[in-house]
Amino acid sequence: MKIIITVFSIFITILIYLMSKIVSKKFPSPFTTPVFFSTPIIITILVLLDIQYEEYTFAKEIMTYLLGPATVALAVPLYKNREIVFKNILPVGLGLTIGSFSSILSGVLLAKVFGLSNILIASISVKSSTTPVAIEISKIIGGDPALTVAFVIITGIAGTMIGPWLMNLTKITNPLSRGLALGTIAHGQGTAEAAQEGELQGAVSGVAMGLGAIFTAFVAPIVISLIL
Amino acid sequence: MKSWFMIIGQLFILWIINTIGFYIVETLNLTIPGNVMGLMILFLLLVTGIIPIRWVEEAANLLIKHLAFFFIPIAVGLMALGTVFLKNGIPLIIIMGISIVLGIYLTGFVSQFVAQKKEGVKSENNNHSI
Repeated sequence: MKIIITVFSIFITILIYLMSKIVSKKFPSPFTTPVFFSTPIIITILVLLDIQYEEYTFAKEIMTYLLGPATVALAVPLYKNREIVFKNILPVGLGLTIGSFSSILSGVLLAKVFGLSNILIASISVKSSTTPVAIEISKIIGGDPALTVAFVIITGIAGTMIGPWLMNLTKITNPLSRGLALGTIAHGQGTAEAAQEGELQGAVSGVAMGLGAIFTAFVAPIVISLIL
Repeated sequence: MKSWFMIIGQLFILWIINTIGFYIVETLNLTIPGNVMGLMILFLLLVTGIIPIRWVEEAANLLIKHLAFFFIPIAVGLMALGTVFLKNGIPLIIIMGISIVLGIYLTGFVSQFVAQKKEGVKSENNNHSI
């Protein structure tokens, strides 16, 4: 029975993922991105078929086996766009450091003020990091992987919707800065949005996503250990 | 056929680097994730030319193209945790909202401010694509 459920779980997850790819191509929007679109559908199917989450976890282990190598692969776009960083080391370095740090610190402090549990605070602290890195940092600092994915995805969607509007309002017009802000805070989704604005924005955003994730990996554990 | 062999070979390289990353982090007792260590190792290997980009590029592109797939099974874990969101919905919206706005504004503002200072010195270069 366990094998049947596992095979079925993998089949259904891949199927819905492929569906989400088609839907997001036809109706491109933050809400049709694969995770946001697929997860509720898969959960609904599992609930309807009375499959418990514990029964799904073995399938999860198999499907996420390549997540580590996939994270390592992020070095490739970073390497390809490294010239942009070297040429603009100060604006990129300072913008990313201050922006990323303020995002981590404000998230943790506010969560603390609202009296949220430590699991929630740890999970929320890494919300601007790209998902695979966020999950791993979150595990180290006592967060929950599923909550972390949710916060990261919500941050990506919200950042993509708010970001361009906010930067128009505050007269942040420099293409480098716009790409940097979107990639630093809204990671992969922000990068997709930045690429729509222009080639430079997209490239900077991709770099910012990678560097922001590395920065968060170093800083979030320190912030958490100081505040919790 | 040949290209599939190549992709599997490249995946194996990425897998080894990831494993080394986790090994280093564990051995040195660091608080950063093993996959981030692996990312930094691969970046260094590429920059120093020890690994040419063509050794990993195709597998990397494939994995990155389908990166979102890996998050779905993990996000399904919310079925056991959904109530946490319902219970803390309003604080979470406020926290995320403020934190996201602050992060985007500060990143954009600081980098633009610094870039303008620099442009004052050497002019040109940055502002042509909007």
